[in-house]
Amino acid sequence: MRPPQLLNDRSVLYNVATMAIESDLDLMLRVRDGDVASFEVLLRRYRLPLVSYFRRMVRDQGLAEDLAQEVFLRVYKSRERYQPEARFTTWLYRIATNLALNAIRDRRDEVSGTVGDDSDGGSILELFVDPQPTVEQRLMQGDRERVIRHAVEALPENQRAAVILHKYQEVDYRQIAGILSVSESAVKSLLFRAYETLRVRLEPLLREGQI
Amino acid sequence: MKCLETERLISYAYHLTDELAASQVRAHLGECSRCREIVEQHGRLGALLDEWKATEPTPWFDARVRQAVGASQARRKPGGFWGREWARGLALASLGVLIIAGMHWFTQVHPWASKPSGIATRQPQQVRDPRTTAQTAELRSPIVVPRAGLKPVPAVPGFKSADASSNEDNDAQALEDYDLAANFDLLSELPKGEPRVAN
Repeated sequence: MRPPQLLNDRSVLYNVATMAIESDLDLMLRVRDGDVASFEVLLRRYRLPLVSYFRRMVRDQGLAEDLAQEVFLRVYKSRERYQPEARFTTWLYRIATNLALNAIRDRRDEVSGTVGDDSDGGSILELFVDPQPTVEQRLMQGDRERVIRHAVEALPENQRAAVILHKYQEVDYRQIAGILSVSESAVKSLLFRAYETLRVRLEPLLREGQI
Repeated sequence: MKCLETERLISYAYHLTDELAASQVRAHLGECSRCREIVEQHGRLGALLDEWKATEPTPWFDARVRQAVGASQARRKPGGFWGREWARGLALASLGVLIIAGMHWFTQVHPWASKPSGIATRQPQQVRDPRTTAQTAELRSPIVVPRAGLKPVPAVPGFKSADASSNEDNDAQALEDYDLAANFDLLSELPKGEPRVAN
């Protein structure tokens, strides 16, 4: 049966519902063959994870949506060259991570032009997450989420990407190695350092949670 | 009791180890409160990090993606045959062939268009005209029939009509000069002393 070619067609909506249980790989192979309905399923499946990922990586909601849109566009444009050698999510998050890291660097360059040089990847943000007084001050404001966000954002780029992928996107560390193009032991090392840094920085919140 | 390295404890807390290493850490935690405290802290850290909630895309996000994808499709297919590189090349080549064929046809239908200009035809006469006035007058006769395969050159009546423009006069004169020069060339190839037959 010839697949439908219009995204808002009623038959496409029916197909989207029936294809919801199909694997990413099968869907992507159909997209490669020109099935727009399968792309619609992938869009619905990964819109929230991707926007959330970018939101946590770059903080800005508008930029996060722009980058997520760019990922979907790149996936669609390169559909004919897609080779199912790695998992679909590895490929998807590799595109996303490259875009996010580039955006972070671009923004850092812009900020460094006005505030000063920032050679350590996120060290500007680190100024705002001095653990003791700042956390206490923010606890008084009842803004735990913001403290957590700033603690994660203060991590170096690769550690931040590794933690967000592992903790929030629930990506396996072997896959993270493929996404970041590093070895599995390097990913473990990144995660170890990142989680330990977070534990130290968020210790006041952890102690409070114990009480 | 010697505590385990923090890296091993963290790896265990976040499920980064294989089952064998995990069972070894579990056995150690049963006996070491300090290591157990570190693992528990990381368990609480995991729960704390969960407080940073995911962000929903704006309602128009899907529409934006669809629009971007649709626009990329439209750019990719600008219009069937003409959207292909080889088709455009083929069309240009065909146009070139048509132009050349048209020029060839035009010169066949209008031979004067391919002849040299009057200035060029006068040069041979000026340089290569060793004949006398009498010979020239003879050649101006209506038809000259040579013997050795020479074609008669008929006179061209009406070239100098009274109502023709000056440009046409010049062209007619140029053609006449050209014919004369050609006849001189042909005559010079005839053997000397042979009689010429004329009507």
